[in-house]
Amino acid sequence: MNLFLSKEDLIRWLDALLRQRVLVAPVRVQGLILLQPVSKVAEVTLDFGNTTLSPKGWFLPPMETLFSVQSNDGQQKLVPTTIEKDAVIFGLRPCDARGIALIDRPLLREPSDALYRERRARTSLIGLSCRQAQPECFCTSMGSAPNDPSHVDILLTEIDNGYILQVITEKGRALLSESFAEYKGTLPKPPEPGAVPTKEVVPAVKKLFDDPYWERLADRCLHCNICAYVCPTCYCFDVRDYSDKGSVERIRGWDSCQSPGFSRIAGGYNPRVTKGARLRQRFAHKLLYFPERFKDVACVGCGRCVRSCPVNIDIREVLRDLQQLEVKSGS
Amino acid sequence: MDSELIQQIRSEASYLLKDGTVKCVIGYERASDGLTSRPFFAYEPAAVERLIFDETCTHNLVRYLLDKKREKVAIVVKPCDSRAINLLLNEAQIKRHMVFIIGVTCSGVMETSCNDKGQALQARCQTCQMTKPLVYDFLVEQKLVERPEGEPYLDIQEIETKPIAARRAFWSEQFGRCIRCYACRQVCPGCYCPDCFVEQLDPLWVGIRIAPKENELWQITRAFHLAGRCIGCNECERVCPVDIPLGRLNRKLEKEVKELFTFQAGLSPEEQPPFATFKKEETLGFEE
Repeated sequence: MNLFLSKEDLIRWLDALLRQRVLVAPVRVQGLILLQPVSKVAEVTLDFGNTTLSPKGWFLPPMETLFSVQSNDGQQKLVPTTIEKDAVIFGLRPCDARGIALIDRPLLREPSDALYRERRARTSLIGLSCRQAQPECFCTSMGSAPNDPSHVDILLTEIDNGYILQVITEKGRALLSESFAEYKGTLPKPPEPGAVPTKEVVPAVKKLFDDPYWERLADRCLHCNICAYVCPTCYCFDVRDYSDKGSVERIRGWDSCQSPGFSRIAGGYNPRVTKGARLRQRFAHKLLYFPERFKDVACVGCGRCVRSCPVNIDIREVLRDLQQLEVKSGS
Repeated sequence: MDSELIQQIRSEASYLLKDGTVKCVIGYERASDGLTSRPFFAYEPAAVERLIFDETCTHNLVRYLLDKKREKVAIVVKPCDSRAINLLLNEAQIKRHMVFIIGVTCSGVMETSCNDKGQALQARCQTCQMTKPLVYDFLVEQKLVERPEGEPYLDIQEIETKPIAARRAFWSEQFGRCIRCYACRQVCPGCYCPDCFVEQLDPLWVGIRIAPKENELWQITRAFHLAGRCIGCNECERVCPVDIPLGRLNRKLEKEVKELFTFQAGLSPEEQPPFATFKKEETLGFEE
């Protein structure tokens, strides 16, 4: 059964949620849309394409302390990081929800990542269907859709006078404290994002692994970490121990295969020394290694890397190029 | 798009590649959005047909010369970009005979983003009075637009009048958003240290935390490392995915260096930069 919320209902409901949990929602900061904890509903923006950074940062923060060891009078005590409160993410786009479901596969596979698992279990997801596709969006080519309810607990769809609310999971039902009216109408037609060819992409990457294409594509790559850090499915991190005044902290922070030191190992050897090998790693992880191990291509078509890349390395174009090159090389 | 200008760039590029003078021509091509532009590397004469030039060509391509030191290459430069060539010559990072410079006259590029070719000139272009590259081997001239002479440091002067606490609060908020993607460093022609201090392990200066203190240390140290060296292409600010106004930090230091040493980076390949010069008569400004 679908429910109907007026705009006032929505504000009242979010306010009620805010009183019990951490409410993470899109906020306009300068020209950006950032997903962050809010202290009042008025901070939340409902008018946005998608958030500048993906929601993965809530589950896999840019930086977190995994645990610390404190030393007192010759006694060492291990202090684990604890998650204080339950949270709810509001305004999540369906493509990003799929992104979370995809990184669940490596991170929740046993032995699972304890902090990720706990945050995931204690966070509910309220999705918001897209009314408009951005020019860089291609979610329907990547197994999602602007109104895909698959990976959220509740899905809201905006209509002219309010929102249609679909309860997807039991976790979602638990978020409803008051009863809303039933919505008897039909759901609006979703927008149609651009299409990208994805047929046989996995064998294409495998076959073209040593193709000079990668080196040429990498000529203009700056090897910054933007694509990896804005991506909802890039989950690489680095771990270091730092000591300070009798305590030691184990820190985890985002890392990216594009950074020159990423694959450097003890003794200074770097197996991915060329620009082409580094850039290929990004695409090979998404389009070859991930699907081989976890079934699906690790891209949800959110378009963030396309939007943010300073030199226009466009994954849609890479997918097209790979297919064309494979046809040319004769399969 | 000025087709005559583009034709001139293409024929020169084609000539250089056919003739074997250069291995590659670094220029611009149309981006995948069909509106803006992106860096392009032409290796074969046939590829020059992809070269373009228009007011969306904001990238400072000089940074790529650092990746192409082993072979002679040609490069398309705007007047501001030519200052980066002088900087790299001055700091012995490139050799003049290994670069063929296709200079393009310019009266400004647009504030572009993906799928938007821009409505207005970039702020740095609005008061810029340079129209001709300072160094080139082949010059392509385009129709120029008059730009009013303006005060380039208005926004800096505005910040300077604010109390220190307000300035600190402003920058703390800005740096708080930094995700340490290092796009500012990677795009910068002046950032070429083989081991950046921020990633150095021994000694450990910063560490991997993406957190306010570390972000601030990173950004401030980087700005100081570019004092008297930044040539003002503002690429760092353009590429920042979280819109930190990095250009303001650089221009504040540019202004200081200009006032103290009457020096601006990249104006000549020979003039000694202030921080690479030692003069006996210089004092530290306190009693000795």
